Amino acid sequence: MPDRLYLDHAATTPVRPEARDAMLPFLGDAAFGNPSSGHAFGRAARAGLENARQQLAAALGVRAPDVIFTSGGTEADNLAVLGAVLAARPSLGGGGAAHLVSSPTEHKAILGALHEAERHGARVTFLPVNATGLVDLAALDDLLAGRAPGGRPTLVSVMWVNNEVGTVQPVRAIADRCAAAGVPFHTDAVQAFGKLAVNLAAVPVSAASLSAHKIGGPKGIGALVVRDRRAVGPILHGGGQQGGLRPGTENVPGAVGFGVAAELAAGEQPETHARLGAMRDALETALRERLPDLVVHGAGAERGPNILNVSAPETDSEAMLMHLDLAGLACASGSACTTGVVEPSHVLTAMGVPRDLAVGAVRLSLGALSSPDRVPQIADAFAGVVAKVRRLRSVLARA
Amino acid sequence: MAPRVLVAMSGGVDSSVAAALLVEAGFDVVGVTMKLFCYARTPVPDRPCCSLDSILDARAVAERLGVPHYTLNFEDRFGRDVIENFVAEYARGRTPIPCVRCNAFTKFSDLLAHADALGCEALATGHYARAEQGSLYRALDRAKDQSYFLWGVRREVVPSLLTPVGSRTKEQTRGVARRLGLVTAEKVESQEICFVPTGDYVSVLEERLPAGAAALAPGPIVTTRGETIGEHAGFARYTVGQRRGLPGGSSRPRFVVAIRPETREVVVGSADDLDRWDVELRELNWLADPLAAGEECEVQVRSHARAVRAEVQAVSAEAISLGLREPARAVAPGQSGALYRGDRLLGGGVIA
Repeated sequence: MPDRLYLDHAATTPVRPEARDAMLPFLGDAAFGNPSSGHAFGRAARAGLENARQQLAAALGVRAPDVIFTSGGTEADNLAVLGAVLAARPSLGGGGAAHLVSSPTEHKAILGALHEAERHGARVTFLPVNATGLVDLAALDDLLAGRAPGGRPTLVSVMWVNNEVGTVQPVRAIADRCAAAGVPFHTDAVQAFGKLAVNLAAVPVSAASLSAHKIGGPKGIGALVVRDRRAVGPILHGGGQQGGLRPGTENVPGAVGFGVAAELAAGEQPETHARLGAMRDALETALRERLPDLVVHGAGAERGPNILNVSAPETDSEAMLMHLDLAGLACASGSACTTGVVEPSHVLTAMGVPRDLAVGAVRLSLGALSSPDRVPQIADAFAGVVAKVRRLRSVLARA
Repeated sequence: MAPRVLVAMSGGVDSSVAAALLVEAGFDVVGVTMKLFCYARTPVPDRPCCSLDSILDARAVAERLGVPHYTLNFEDRFGRDVIENFVAEYARGRTPIPCVRCNAFTKFSDLLAHADALGCEALATGHYARAEQGSLYRALDRAKDQSYFLWGVRREVVPSLLTPVGSRTKEQTRGVARRLGLVTAEKVESQEICFVPTGDYVSVLEERLPAGAAALAPGPIVTTRGETIGEHAGFARYTVGQRRGLPGGSSRPRFVVAIRPETREVVVGSADDLDRWDVELRELNWLADPLAAGEECEVQVRSHARAVRAEVQAVSAEAISLGLREPARAVAPGQSGALYRGDRLLGGGVIA
């Protein structure tokens, strides 16, 4: 078996040792308590939880009470979208239709929540995106000014960094426009946090989604930063935890790990950006040298430093991923369904990438386990796999 | 380094055990499940080898065995090579066997190309048949033998095939699965065509044939003497040998003995009218040196029929005519005639 190289950090990352160590007391007898309990055990857990909230708030430039812990990025996105619909109307079933504005390249968690809102009567408008995946700000202006169908938006939600191709959206510009129009703006910042400067003190977003396991925290914990509580209603109901906006006994060990990971990731962010960006560029160059017809998706736009999404013509990502895995390279494609069957990415489709190219897309994403020394090895292995898959396709084309 | 083998894992117990036995024998096993059609269109949750669960079961088995597993999408090619032919054959009043074409075109052709590309020395399946020294033989467990469905496999492919369960009984196969704690150990056997999980093949035809297609339009039910005794709702609903769906009122049971698509007639007769003393096969494939006129073999004309002794009367590159030593019952055009000598599968063709 060849030695394995992990090139899928946008999917998940290993837990940082500091985060793991910080979590351990909360998994043992010392601080296992329920943070809602008034006794000493509860207080010990509560101290850890609130410290984590504080760490996250400091890392993001927001107030601690604005940080609502969730089970992850997907729940945060659902809370942002469906919570906005609920806040705008007394129930999902009645009242005037909410109008949600988003982009077609969002993560499935946003698209799924939008679809659910639509099923319950909300209107959804997608902003057009260009060939690099950037949203059309002029179209947003028309919507915010009420010049487009659907009326004044209830919520605008645009991701900060695209998880498939890395395109960085003009979040600052969108936030400013929405703030001026008095329309709440949510951003899925899951892929941005730790890679770009995510300083919400300087960007007037109403809400932002985050996930721990993309930055060296544990899985099963995320957060929605909620600046304006009136703009979000709860989608879960029960005890009054977290101001009633996200009831349920908090995942204390997860939050503690998240807090530590967030503090470290925010502190390292400028260095991470420089390191991963340089390595990504080197990898892109090395791949282009070996595969002159390689297409780099999102090239030309500002991209998250860790993501490289490429298509080699005359390949398909299904065979690519299988051969890459067997060659020891752990990569991803746009969208795989639960069975592992690869479908053309909705992101690339929205960017206007032709289908025959989109079906060959492979995402390589860098992070803690990546080393620039390996770039030539990765590029050689990748080019070797492309050659194999092309040979296979020519055999199948004759059959 | 251990030789690499690609195992076609359907999510059933047989291919699970095939993979397990090869892992135990020390091969470098790579598991693949072929996605052959769109599962969303036919949501049948509990059918083995048909639902999405099958892909997940195959994956669970591979995880248990500690081998990589991938799902490959063959929808377009399977649709072109197997489903389209299935529909076209019914539209012509014939009774196709899609599994034969899947084996010939998909499993032992397209998937074999993948195996080559992955550097595999062999392709293994959970078939109850034996590939040995470049020849195919019936399974040791005669009740489970699936060699009938393999006559269309190209001869040059056979040396690359491994059939680990072909020399075991079904009970022994289940025993291996139980011993290893595989999730598929107690799985019910699939009897249906994979893309017709409910068994209702007519709904597949209705979905794919144009509205008003002759095969699904009413037509006369006639006797062998030409007397019209009723109407049917489409000849594609019938197959030679079928009893169901025919008018009663006769002292002896009636069977479909022929389908005449040009007049939309379904011809019925008695059991005796089903007996045939000769068979013509087309679209021949040989897994041994071709037989010559005058040579003897056995021919099996249905998946569960007994093979009957036959003599080659005429043979060409396209067709073979066989005279039977005893009658074969319900020889349906479109089904397969598999040729054997003893346990060895010599080849076969499609019944003309």
